Amino acid sequence: MMRRGKLGYLFIAPATFHLVVFAIFPMVFSIFLSFYKWNLLTSERSFNGLSNYVYAFKDPLFWNALWNSTKYAALSVPLGMIAGLAVALLVNQKLRGVTIFRTLFYIPAISSGVAISILWIYIYMPETGLINSVLGMLHINNKTDFLKNESLAMFALVFMSIWVGLGPKMVLFLSGLIGIPPSLYEAAELDGAGKFRSFWSVTLPMLIPTTFFVLITSTIGALQVFTPVYIMTQGGPNEKTDVVGYHIYVEAWSKFLIGIASAKSFVLLLVIVLVSILQFRILRNQLEGYSTT
Amino acid sequence: MKKLLSYLAMLALAVFLMAPFVWMVLVSLQPNKAPIPTLDHVIPDHPAWSNYRLVLFDQPNLPVWRFFLNSAIVTFSVVVGQLLVSSLAAYGFARMQFKGRDWIFYVFLGSLMFSGPVTQLPVYLLVRSLGWLDTYAALIVPGVSSAFTVFLLRQAFTAIPNELDEAARIDGAGDFRIYARVVMPLSGAALATSAAFSFFAVWTDFFWPLLSTNTSNMRTLEVGLSVFKTSYGSTNWPLQMTATVIVMIPLLVGFLFSQRYFTKGIMIGSIK
Amino acid sequence: MVKRCYVVVAIMLGVLLAGCAGKGNRGEVTLHLSNWGGADDDPVYARKIDGLYRQFERENPGIRLEIESVPDEYVQKMILSFVAGTAPDVLSLDASSAGVFINNGVLQDLSPLAAGDPTFKASDYWANVLAIDQRGKALYAVPGDFTPLVLYYNKKLFDRAHVPYPSGVWTFQQFLEVARKLTLRDSSGRVIQYGYNFTNWMPGWIVWLWNNGGDVLTPDGGRAKGALDSPQNVASITFLRDLVLKEKVSPDLSQTAATGVDPFGNGQTAMEISGHWELTSFKTAPKLKLSDVGVAQAPTNLPKGRTVMYEVGFAIPKQARHPKESWKLIKYLTGHLYQQAYQQTGIAVCGRKDVANERATDPREQQFLNLVPTARGPWGAQVVGYDFVEQEGKKMMERVLAGTDPKQALSEMADRIDSYFKVR
Repeated sequence: MMRRGKLGYLFIAPATFHLVVFAIFPMVFSIFLSFYKWNLLTSERSFNGLSNYVYAFKDPLFWNALWNSTKYAALSVPLGMIAGLAVALLVNQKLRGVTIFRTLFYIPAISSGVAISILWIYIYMPETGLINSVLGMLHINNKTDFLKNESLAMFALVFMSIWVGLGPKMVLFLSGLIGIPPSLYEAAELDGAGKFRSFWSVTLPMLIPTTFFVLITSTIGALQVFTPVYIMTQGGPNEKTDVVGYHIYVEAWSKFLIGIASAKSFVLLLVIVLVSILQFRILRNQLEGYSTT
Repeated sequence: MKKLLSYLAMLALAVFLMAPFVWMVLVSLQPNKAPIPTLDHVIPDHPAWSNYRLVLFDQPNLPVWRFFLNSAIVTFSVVVGQLLVSSLAAYGFARMQFKGRDWIFYVFLGSLMFSGPVTQLPVYLLVRSLGWLDTYAALIVPGVSSAFTVFLLRQAFTAIPNELDEAARIDGAGDFRIYARVVMPLSGAALATSAAFSFFAVWTDFFWPLLSTNTSNMRTLEVGLSVFKTSYGSTNWPLQMTATVIVMIPLLVGFLFSQRYFTKGIMIGSIK
Repeated sequence: MVKRCYVVVAIMLGVLLAGCAGKGNRGEVTLHLSNWGGADDDPVYARKIDGLYRQFERENPGIRLEIESVPDEYVQKMILSFVAGTAPDVLSLDASSAGVFINNGVLQDLSPLAAGDPTFKASDYWANVLAIDQRGKALYAVPGDFTPLVLYYNKKLFDRAHVPYPSGVWTFQQFLEVARKLTLRDSSGRVIQYGYNFTNWMPGWIVWLWNNGGDVLTPDGGRAKGALDSPQNVASITFLRDLVLKEKVSPDLSQTAATGVDPFGNGQTAMEISGHWELTSFKTAPKLKLSDVGVAQAPTNLPKGRTVMYEVGFAIPKQARHPKESWKLIKYLTGHLYQQAYQQTGIAVCGRKDVANERATDPREQQFLNLVPTARGPWGAQVVGYDFVEQEGKKMMERVLAGTDPKQALSEMADRIDSYFKVR
């Protein structure tokens, strides 16, 4: 029997206090800030009503940033998940030395974000960069400046994010796969299901909880991406990679528009909450659908 | 045949994932100020090890050792703090009964949604009014508890059978004793996994140390590296890559020691 | 396991506390001097400057000097240090961002300190250089060094093409003709040498706007609309675009990035516009002899040429706790000894006339001094948030080089600046 009573509060008190101070209070404070104009240097502060929100919604660059983040998330999340699942299936075989490969595949993810971003600047360089060097050796056009090209820069960032995120997604799916009871596959085989069919009717449904977890966490992460943009493109070229995380950073810490940055942050927060709820709903229906069949 | 194909696929993938790192090391060994080499000249005739000496020791204004020490102090403190604070909370959520427990836990979960750019500004102002900016407190205290770690450990603690603490209770043990003597010792793997995750998250954190410190004595390695990017300009690739390799080495060493916690997927089994 | 953790935490805390307590001996003042010098690929130079700082400590027993180098995002970091209450005792104040500090009133007016110091003479400085950090009678920084932007040319390439060196006033059109003659192609039509090296750096290319009679902001610095989108500026931006895209007398930006070397220093372009610091990189450039570098004024469509100058001064924050010692440090940094030694590094022209004139025997240095009267401080010294304008300028130029109409690009840029200026 579990103990009832007040002792439980004592256990959660430190963490809850920390949560209130460093997460909940800042949230509330940020809503407060979003109604003010505040000069940090002179500490002058004045009530600004809704005008920070009006400014935010009238700002075409904010809309552009929201759109870019949507694009980034819509590309990097599903592609990253497919890649992660595929690699998980690959390394979920009883092969000699497979753990060495699993370890190798994880290395990009533990690397420093700044180091990786600097490294990828050079990988994407025209002519001398790693990709273009390989293309050059194959006598293919090697002059593409991936990060300066308006239509390619976003894909370049997405591609890098898949490279970085492959390891963790692989591990998540892998443990999902390991957790599937072999009896389910045996039952499917008895029903005469082939490899492909048992993948569809056993593997995928059983992976739904993992998928749900990966989807929600990587979407939240993707909507707030910052470091690669800060290091590699600074939002360029022509604001094509100006994602909302970076956009808000510039408003707050480069232009020092504290109130406006807070208003925009709050809008971003609402977007994240809405997207998470939406994903939760869709996947919950999926989950129920599978469990009834 | 299928085996062979699998190996080929894994090998190709390994090359794809590792090639940038190999290239990074090779470029770091090009002579100082040399242009980026083409692929056929990427293996240097005379590796310029002196680049490493230059970056590590010949920078009176950029104390790389100090950056390293700062990263170590901050990461260690945060990881230990998280394990203590979060495991206590996880125990409360997993093995105790009290009013509003689930509701509070959902708030913890929900807080995972806002991090990064959304709360940095108010947290910055809060830390400023506490007078902590540019101190270890600013780097450590906001991280000593993590909703994510609470979540992970709660899952692990829930999985421990109740019979074990019943025995302890009969012996007259209270909850703190059960937490310290039964649940914690049995959760070594989960604790290690959480520690490993936090270690890399904190060590490579960029945004917060970038904002909350502004003297070079307080910079962490990760922020120090971004400084190297601008300093050597867009023209000195060998030195930039040298700095990048230097930052990567402690991470790789840490990973080699902890990799089984990442790749075995212990934590994930408990997510469902 | 838990117990062991407690022990380790206790040890860590001990280390932290010891580290904090160890700061500052009694009776000793520690001064923090900020600058943006960072990691250096030339250890000899770094040691030399460090030696000069130690010299100051020897001359002033009881004062310790600590250098705070912030090579990345210097302005932002400095603003945050004021916000955090950890501003340095002496701040290196870059003219291109001085406005944010001066206009927000976070710097001390140095004129009382200067008036009380018989060794400080305003006549030691060029009036227009000193004016950059002045507001009326108030003085917010003492100039350390500065540089007007000039046009560098490679004499060898000019000789080879039998083109006379530029001298005095010359127009955009004359410049274009020279650049065409100096652009060489091989038999397959590939360019092997460019006439001019255009870099998309607004603090540099602003001289093209000024020399065509245009400007970035209205005279009071309040707005961009009505100044930035002027026909003169449209013409200048079109001219620059054509240098790269139509005339192809300048490499395009990604070409420059890909080679990873400075094309002028590599003997691959005949002209470029830059500041004095460039001379230090020419010194070590593999394919360029310093004696082959000529200095001229930028082309102009006006009767007299104009240029911009970037200056670094030393300022004392209002929150600094040792103004007297800080002033001592400023006097040292702007004194004869330090300035002479600093001048040898070749980064810039010295703020002090007497020291700067010592170098005037060199014709290149003389040319820099000749151009000082035609130079004006940057907008950033006068208005808050000009760094944003410069970032927008870079983006605007990128758009133009990617095909956007210059008039439209300039007008959009002006709108963005004004909407930011309204809320800043």
